[in-house]
Amino acid sequence: MLRYITYRSLVAVFLVWIVVTLVFLLLHLVPGDPAEVLLSQGSTAADPQAVANLRDRLGLNDPLWLQYAHHIGGILTGDLGTSFRDGAPVAGQIVQRLPRTLEVIVTAALIAVLLGVPAGTLAAIRAGGWIDNVISFLSSLALSTPVFVVGSVVILIFAQELRLVPAGGYVPFAVDPARHILLLLMPAGTVALALWAVVARMSRGSVLDVLERDYVRTARAKGLKRRRILKRHVVRNAMIPVLTVLGLEMGTLIGGTVLVEFVFNWPGLSGYLVSAVDARDYPEVVGIVMVISILFVLLNLVVDIVYAVLDPRISLTR
Amino acid sequence: MRKLILPVSILAVILALVVLAPVLPLADERAMDIPHRFAGPSMAHWLGQDEFGRDVLTRLIYGARASLSIAIGSALAAALIGTALGLLGGYFRGIVELFTVRAAEIILCLPPLLLALLVVTIFGAGFWPLILALTLLYTPNYARVVYAATLQVRALDFVTAQRALGTHPLKIVLRTMLPNVLPPLVVQISLVIASAIVIESGLSFLGLGVVPPTPSWGLMIRAARGAMEQAPLLLLWPSVALAGTILTFNLLCDRLQSVLDPRAVPAGGAIWLRRRRTTPIAPRIAPDQVERDHAPADLLSVAGLTISLDRPGGIGSGMELVRGVNLGLRTGETLALVGESGSGKTLTSLAVTGLLPDVLKITAGTAAYRRRDGELRDLIAEDEDGHRQLRGDEISMVFQDASAALNPVHRIGEQLTEVILAHRAIGRAAAKREAVALLGRVGIPDAERRARAYPHELSGGQRQRAMIAIAVANRPKLLLADEPTTALDPTIQAQILALIADLKRESPEMGVVFVTHNLAVVAEIADRVCVMYAGQVVEEGPVAKVFARPRHPYTVALIGSVPEGDAERLVAIPGAIPAPGHMPPGCSFAPRCDHAVAACRKAPPPEFWPEPDRRTRCLRFEEVT
Repeated sequence: MLRYITYRSLVAVFLVWIVVTLVFLLLHLVPGDPAEVLLSQGSTAADPQAVANLRDRLGLNDPLWLQYAHHIGGILTGDLGTSFRDGAPVAGQIVQRLPRTLEVIVTAALIAVLLGVPAGTLAAIRAGGWIDNVISFLSSLALSTPVFVVGSVVILIFAQELRLVPAGGYVPFAVDPARHILLLLMPAGTVALALWAVVARMSRGSVLDVLERDYVRTARAKGLKRRRILKRHVVRNAMIPVLTVLGLEMGTLIGGTVLVEFVFNWPGLSGYLVSAVDARDYPEVVGIVMVISILFVLLNLVVDIVYAVLDPRISLTR
Repeated sequence: MRKLILPVSILAVILALVVLAPVLPLADERAMDIPHRFAGPSMAHWLGQDEFGRDVLTRLIYGARASLSIAIGSALAAALIGTALGLLGGYFRGIVELFTVRAAEIILCLPPLLLALLVVTIFGAGFWPLILALTLLYTPNYARVVYAATLQVRALDFVTAQRALGTHPLKIVLRTMLPNVLPPLVVQISLVIASAIVIESGLSFLGLGVVPPTPSWGLMIRAARGAMEQAPLLLLWPSVALAGTILTFNLLCDRLQSVLDPRAVPAGGAIWLRRRRTTPIAPRIAPDQVERDHAPADLLSVAGLTISLDRPGGIGSGMELVRGVNLGLRTGETLALVGESGSGKTLTSLAVTGLLPDVLKITAGTAAYRRRDGELRDLIAEDEDGHRQLRGDEISMVFQDASAALNPVHRIGEQLTEVILAHRAIGRAAAKREAVALLGRVGIPDAERRARAYPHELSGGQRQRAMIAIAVANRPKLLLADEPTTALDPTIQAQILALIADLKRESPEMGVVFVTHNLAVVAEIADRVCVMYAGQVVEEGPVAKVFARPRHPYTVALIGSVPEGDAERLVAIPGAIPAPGHMPPGCSFAPRCDHAVAACRKAPPPEFWPEPDRRTRCLRFEEVT
């Protein structure tokens, strides 16, 4: 087990290095001068003096290897540079906003699992029946409706027409816990909808697959109660691939909550990213992309390890 | 193919609208009409007017133009690049693979929306940066799919043949490989288009995608959010259009998959899990009739058991796989069921325990079983709950492949404890102690520690021992062992047989049905033998008598096919078991039988009783030697 974790961790470190390098290359090897590209607005050419200043500030006059060394060094020391817009350190902003994004994602994942696993299992048990058809239709619909559409419609119905909830915003938990949770539930619920569909579909397929396995027949041959067979021998085994996919989906979401945070005015990391892209604030964008990508890789690592714990066969086969 | 009609025709309508937009009698998509902003639907403006008084319907259609051209354009561009990378990587492997497929996969390290945002940061918003971002984003998906398909095709004989003939690699790749990887590619394209529409509209919604005043669904939703109070409908139209289009592409993808890969037939779930009877209830037999007909078989008496394929509308539904099987088992007796694969021996034992797969149905027969408390039960008429009470307690099973029959994610001890707790009111700690003792009893060394092991940590022989421990945990009256030694090597086989014989000596009351195709095993372990052929019992009797003087040509052939020494498999008897549904009109063994005469081919032979304790289904049993 320890050997397996070490191995996976090394792979993760390698992947982080690739990501960091990739972002560096993307910004430095694109045709044209990054400074000029960054400063030009549409067809208006950039002011040569400003370009020169920017090149100096970005260290673009240094040789490429030195720039790369600075890039890596900065990440290792947690220094992600300072914002163009207000001169604040990027790392500080990220530390403040990241927990809010993670809060949305984790809540969404919890909701998705709590509702998706039973729905998928039920659909599998009743495969071909009307419950299966209803769940399958709902999940297709949920998968086909982009989050910002769901979010906008939620606001239209619950905030605008019914006046049940505010249209979004953020209140720290310490200030008003009830309101914090209410405000959290809207973006989290919206993200959960799509995630629910993924979990329900995966659960259905996985449960159907496990039901065909010999060990389920053994469980029946033991004379165990239905509930116990379902819980211990079907769902328990079927959850392994489902959790893997959920973990990967959550990784995608770290970057993908952009839209939800925007819709509900939630001051998370993604909202910060959008405003940074909008202002073309280069250090901010690079910093956020870097942090999210590293988290993405780390999350995949955690998924791999959890997978190995859930399925004891894994650690041997690698 | 009919499944594709719905999504394809919807898409055809959408595409026609998009392509024909400039020639359709639509309003100008940019013509503003400020005095009539937020006007509701009217004859001139079917879906109303937006915040600048522009015609919503027109903008919806032109919005589709932007979304679809970006999505389809980038999906195709990515398909082109990804397919090339996948084909090259899959065909040449090695270093080429590293620089094509593996290189493309690096992109997958970044969350998708982030990569798109990164590209937009560098190049600014607009049509072409979007195409670039999405193409970059989806290239690795194609590369992977095509790579996997290429590997499969590459191993096929005709490709190997072409390579051997010295055909130019590029020609092989384009002429032979490409057409063969097309099906997964087509599915992937429809999937990517749907996904690209989501990302394009999301970016436009953020104001980082399509640049106004070009209409786009994302932009329309963005604008409508600001005007929710005045005109909530403005939010509805683009939302419906967007979700509907994505839904259609997803539907197309699902349908394409099921058309191109018909193997993935949806399974029917599990009937046993539903609170309904699992088997149709055959009329219960009167207990006294059982006593009369099968007096000596006091433990289990199967009569007229018939099992058919039950797949309404499916191929071969109604075919009989087991036909009128009679067999009896006395307390403490070991009965061997022998026959080739497909003879129905396993199905017979599964039917007794109610564990038949859902596609099989018992269409006739009874299985009278005497419970511990003396009550007589018809096992065939039992529902899932009735079976559940007996299974693992009075009646238990040992399966052929212990590595598949044990749950890989639970510890051995736990899997053993649960069968004890399911049927006895004892504490968990006591059950655990008993489980460890049982593991020791079946010959697993260091049982205390082994109880904490997972199945994959045990050897094949130990797994089968654990399986047997589970079966005998509650001291069953009836043990059904389905080829318990087939998957093991000969030394281990002998040990497992010795273990079963041992356990029998300990519980002399226990009746054993031993399913095998190995006659050497039969001679070693069984009191009586039941020879099955094509779903029927063709001969039955005490082992010694049957082996000394078989009364059915099939038994003769079986014995004759055992080579000297320990045989692991039957050496083939000429011909094959007739397929169910293609049974000859007469004796089902007649086509392979040296003794067959005209009468054998006319009608199925009845059962004959050459001696009081023997029976056979052969007209010429007197002449068989």
